[in-house]
Amino acid sequence: MPCWGASEMTTAERLIDEIMAASRIPSEGRRREVLRELRAHVEDFVSAGRQSGRCEEDIERLLLERFGDPRQIARQFAWVYRRERAALHLGGFLISTVLVSLVISATALAMQAGIMFGFGSPVLGVFGSRHTAIEALDILATAAAYVGLISLGRFFGRPLAVLAAVAAGLVAVFVAVGLSPQFILFGFANGALLRGIQVAVRHPAARLGAVLACFGVLGAVFFHPSSSALASTAASWLIMGSAYHLMTHVAARVDHALLGRL
Amino acid sequence: MEIDRELLKGSISLLLLNLLSRGEMYGYEILQAAAVRSANAFEFKEGTLYPALHQLEKKGLVRSQWRTGDNGRERKYYSLTTKGRKAAHEYERQWQHLTGAVNAVLGSK
Repeated sequence: MPCWGASEMTTAERLIDEIMAASRIPSEGRRREVLRELRAHVEDFVSAGRQSGRCEEDIERLLLERFGDPRQIARQFAWVYRRERAALHLGGFLISTVLVSLVISATALAMQAGIMFGFGSPVLGVFGSRHTAIEALDILATAAAYVGLISLGRFFGRPLAVLAAVAAGLVAVFVAVGLSPQFILFGFANGALLRGIQVAVRHPAARLGAVLACFGVLGAVFFHPSSSALASTAASWLIMGSAYHLMTHVAARVDHALLGRL
Repeated sequence: MEIDRELLKGSISLLLLNLLSRGEMYGYEILQAAAVRSANAFEFKEGTLYPALHQLEKKGLVRSQWRTGDNGRERKYYSLTTKGRKAAHEYERQWQHLTGAVNAVLGSK
């Protein structure tokens, strides 16, 4: 057990807490170990101070002097563990993207099937392989862009540059295997648009209105008279807009759960 | 004499590896040993020491182990790995070369 008195413990604990809070050490186990090591050091410091006949106030003052600025120490620890943090951020980004995509895909497909049924259109059209593949690509790219903008930005500082690199890589892969990259590009633009709306429009109801308005316009732009009725197309796009709006909430929660402590 | 942080920065790894080449030590002991061996010329700050030790451990130059010391307290002891021992020799060799060159320049007035 530490041998320091009540006042030193408060000062030392506050100092160590400040270091740990800002150190951004990614693993819980590692954080505990650093905490234990710093506490052991303080214990030795206080013990040596008492043995040399120093008064408690002197020990406290010297301790603060020796440790220096806790934010500076925390920055050094953060630098030492930067690679682990980057790996964790990228892993969290990938997991978030997949989780969010799955939730939104399931929601959008279920809602669109319901709308198709309501309009008397063939429900299986929603689950057609081409339609599903296109929508899955769009959703995946949108989720990647949106989640990337909220989570990678915190770590890499330049989320747009990182995302542009990811998008360029995906487009290159698509082109290399002979697939059209337009859906990936649409998804990334979509994700950026959603993030832009979230940042620009603070009121939740106004934000939902802005998302629906944008998707209504997109529905009109992409409407093909030969393939479906205007009403079902518009409804389908509005449903997609609602699902993407839901995505912004799901993504924030998943991101917080996975990377909130970093 | 207080040594400028920037000057000390580049030599921290060398000093830590050299101190640990004499035997395993925990953080507080390392600070004491550095102060004693340098006649208080080097006063590592705690904020410099621990991140530097963790960095060396990540590079595989030192390893650490919690155990009860002679004073009956649990402490995290650091010791050199084989790679760390080689690095200690190499850093020392580079340092001798560097200080020789710097001294030559300083003495050539």
